[in-house]
Amino acid sequence: MSESVQIKTETVKLTIDGREVVVPKGTLVIEAARALSIEIPFFCYHQKLKSDGNCRMCLVSIEKMPKLQVSCSLPVSEGMVVQTNTSVVADARKGVLDFLLANHPLDCPICDEGGRCPLQNYSQKYTAYGQFKEEKRIYPKDYFSPLIEKEMNRCIQCMRCVRYCDEVIDSQALSSVNRGFHVEIGHYAEKQLDCEFCGGCVQICPVGALLNRLPLYEYRPWMLTQTETTCAYCADGCSLRLESRPQTREVIEVTSFWGNETKSVWGSGRNEGDLCAKGTFGYEFVNSPHRLTKPLVRKGGRKDGPLVETSWEEALETAADGFRRIKTQHGGAAFGALASARCTNESLYVFQKFVRLILGSPNLDSSVRYGAVNAARAMTELTGTPRWLTSYEEITRADLVFVIGTDITQTNPIAGLKVKAAAKRGAKLIVATPLRRRISTLSNIVNRATRHLAHAPGAERAIAIGLVKAVLEEGRLAERVASHRSTQRLRDAVAAITPKQIERATGLPYEEIKAAAGEWASASRAVIVFGESVIRAKDGYETVRILGDLALSTGKLIADGCGLAPLMEENNEMGAYEMGVVPDRLPGVGRLDDESDRDRISRAWKEPIPAGPGLTMMEMLKAARDGKIKALYLMGENPVGSLPASAGAAEAVEATEFVVCQDLFLTETGMKADVVLPAASFAEQNGTFTNQEGHVQAVRKAFDPVQGTRPDWEILSEIALEMGYPLEYEDGAEISHEIARLWPGWRELPKRSEQEEAVARYLNEELAEGVSERYRLDRKTDHSVAPNHRFRLVLGPVLFHSGKMSLKADGLMKVMGRPFLYMAPEDAERLGVTEGRLVRLRSAYGPVQRSVDVEVKMDAKYPPGLVFFPESFNEPPVKDLLTVELAPVSGVPVFKTTEVLIEKA
Amino acid sequence: MNPETKKVEFSEKAQKEIREILTHYPDKRSAMLPVLNLAQAEFGHISEDVMVMIADLLDLTPPKVYEVLTFYTLLNEKPVGKYLIQLCRTLSCALAGSENILGHLKQRLGIGIGETTPDGLFTLKTVECLASCGTAPAMQVNGAFYENLTRGKVDKILDDLKRGAQPVLKPMGEN
Repeated sequence: MSESVQIKTETVKLTIDGREVVVPKGTLVIEAARALSIEIPFFCYHQKLKSDGNCRMCLVSIEKMPKLQVSCSLPVSEGMVVQTNTSVVADARKGVLDFLLANHPLDCPICDEGGRCPLQNYSQKYTAYGQFKEEKRIYPKDYFSPLIEKEMNRCIQCMRCVRYCDEVIDSQALSSVNRGFHVEIGHYAEKQLDCEFCGGCVQICPVGALLNRLPLYEYRPWMLTQTETTCAYCADGCSLRLESRPQTREVIEVTSFWGNETKSVWGSGRNEGDLCAKGTFGYEFVNSPHRLTKPLVRKGGRKDGPLVETSWEEALETAADGFRRIKTQHGGAAFGALASARCTNESLYVFQKFVRLILGSPNLDSSVRYGAVNAARAMTELTGTPRWLTSYEEITRADLVFVIGTDITQTNPIAGLKVKAAAKRGAKLIVATPLRRRISTLSNIVNRATRHLAHAPGAERAIAIGLVKAVLEEGRLAERVASHRSTQRLRDAVAAITPKQIERATGLPYEEIKAAAGEWASASRAVIVFGESVIRAKDGYETVRILGDLALSTGKLIADGCGLAPLMEENNEMGAYEMGVVPDRLPGVGRLDDESDRDRISRAWKEPIPAGPGLTMMEMLKAARDGKIKALYLMGENPVGSLPASAGAAEAVEATEFVVCQDLFLTETGMKADVVLPAASFAEQNGTFTNQEGHVQAVRKAFDPVQGTRPDWEILSEIALEMGYPLEYEDGAEISHEIARLWPGWRELPKRSEQEEAVARYLNEELAEGVSERYRLDRKTDHSVAPNHRFRLVLGPVLFHSGKMSLKADGLMKVMGRPFLYMAPEDAERLGVTEGRLVRLRSAYGPVQRSVDVEVKMDAKYPPGLVFFPESFNEPPVKDLLTVELAPVSGVPVFKTTEVLIEKA
Repeated sequence: MNPETKKVEFSEKAQKEIREILTHYPDKRSAMLPVLNLAQAEFGHISEDVMVMIADLLDLTPPKVYEVLTFYTLLNEKPVGKYLIQLCRTLSCALAGSENILGHLKQRLGIGIGETTPDGLFTLKTVECLASCGTAPAMQVNGAFYENLTRGKVDKILDDLKRGAQPVLKPMGEN
């Protein structure tokens, strides 16, 4: 936001407890008191929620007002004189507590909230203990859900959970059942809770009425150590608190991050205190008994020997010897290295340095190759940085959000909340997705859409082209672009595509797209949010560029309140790209083929950097199969488990002479490795993750690495030392310092003004480049209801799972322990199957001839003809029905969708 | 959640009325009460299936309908008997002895609160203030008021109803 624009807010002056304070008009008395650090007790108030004023705890006395006032629902007025601490006020609050305690069981000794409970604290402060002698109202105990425990006798009916579920999460899964004295929290009709399990109700409950069921009765809050850190699941980059027992190196639960408050009243972090199911209930993978805790090597050093446990010394020596041997015999280019974008920036930085300097190989890549690289690369070309030039705040304040190619509330739930918040504020919301509107307790962004472009599956690029065409031809161009010479090339390109072609590709009337383009062009604060269906498609890179053209040509690429917001799946995909764990980039997004970038970094490292171009993941695997890659180093990456069988990853790893794998778990790839090294999780090390927006956020160590494991960077450092090269670091922080020295702007957000230059260059040089390839509709799309039991199968991420971590988290497995094939009820009827029945899938074409049986789940969100399978599950092997295609520019392995034949099993 | 199967349906006439009701409000959610009333008239009570259907109709989740359904004592979640007895238990009636009347009703009918007699004739419920404080204790049978209740009066009412007399809707205070 430009600083010259001063927003004038009206202010109000008032006096609280004899102290004057000036606050913006409309501020609530309770908040004004807070500005003076005067504490007013409350239960039902919450900064994120609309005032409800139901608990009466925040009573204050106000001059000239006859009765005590509820400070959480009273806005300040000029000259108001407030007393928060008189004996009358204290008596009234004690009275409120007495009423609350009339029914509260006061079972604090066995309550998980005991010790961090405001009801307990205020009872102590106001010496209230429930003086009524009548019998207490007792609710029968019933089972509520696998993750959330309900203890209604403790409930004080503040309704924060119900309000949060409705107002913030927009899930509407909780209800206040019955009335008055008998109110309780429930789902409906005595049903078990079935919802998103964001756990927000547990976080926001001021007492012990709603609790995390996973660690129930296992701890007393004051025995836990709190560590404020960053979530390791998706790239939304949420701040959360690990509540752990360092003695046993266990995470006991996760609470949201809120500064000094007892509950997440002042939610903070990029997520503002909100979390999703993975964040709140997905922490147990850290404590998993399946964690690797001893290094493994092949018995007798023979390739066909079994993997056996060994000491760290022997394992490191074996790894170092193997690497030294390959390097001497075949040189650096015989190495291939893959890292997971789940690792910290520090480990990723050390990884690429290790591969480039010590192994001497340019062949390194990371899991960004599964798709994120399409976004990162296109964004860098457009604006000079892979980071967003917009933010969650701007999405929330936008007057138009255009969501394309993402089931955002499943893939990036917190970014999804920002879009929902914008829609609730009254922003226009254009959603382009084949998914249908369906109201349920699982959010679906289509429900909030003001315009739904229900296009054919895989037609994201055609939609983007249609929008650019409409914008250009309807004369909605920004001045600077309209007059630019490059624009003519763009005009020619879109003129070559007829509205008919667009209609055929998208399955939508062109008028509809034109209307959407008109709304986009006339919005003043507008953001494009796009996700995996765009970036993981074969034409992902082109689609991102076209969306960039759309933003640029309407003056919304770097304008205030506008921008492109690519969503990423893994927590540190941005970091992996920025740390240069891709074959063509150096740390700081420098280009490997740029002499000056390479020189600058090799000067800092005091070693020459092997010139590229290195091999991408798929090229590496092919080279391994061809015998050109002799050694593979895998840090947390599991190509055998992640890629469909037809990609030949297993064959590649098997054909490689020497494979070293470091991971939390023994993966499909690890089982084929020669050396397996146990790595520490995000809870056990210091470092940083960079979220999809580009915020570099702290990862803090909650406890020492689980016995027998080591942080990734430390393992690298030790192998290096063993090989005779010093690559030593004291701790994560020392690596962070090195990164920051090499790249001074690392921790800062890109400034729009600084990106001006990049955009000007793009406009001058690159906009017109390859424009005819970009604006092409060569893709076959189908949008009719498929005949003959032919369906479009789509693989994608789901809310409750991410892969190897979530599958080891018992809590998430309790909500979704096995995968289903989701299909429209109409299709189920057509196939003659009901929920829970098995169907048999066969690939409709291609060389893959196997069949797979899967359990059916009906969900009207999916349109007829489209079936969805959660890709995190390798069993049943639905993924293996797909043939991997390579995206031309970026080498992304594409395995998102295929046609299948389905019949009753 | 619900496997989107239609188990119940409104009659043609009710559907027409619902379409009409929906035009009265800018937000579908606001039509909840009139639609619930209509559903109760149509089905006698709001079963789970009906609730889910209404949620779909109003673009809401079932819990949001359930809240309203359980808040209003005049909406029935379960089937009720031919005669729905709603006894007031709020302050004035309580002071005037509604507890005794409740005990008597329970004993005469052989059922507890919220239950229905095996012959399907009577359902007993307690409710909050019926706005008949001046003539406490009071109860309602299918909307008709019975006031200044005594055990004897209750006996007579029950006997009459059993014999087939219909509850008579009279202005308050005339019982």
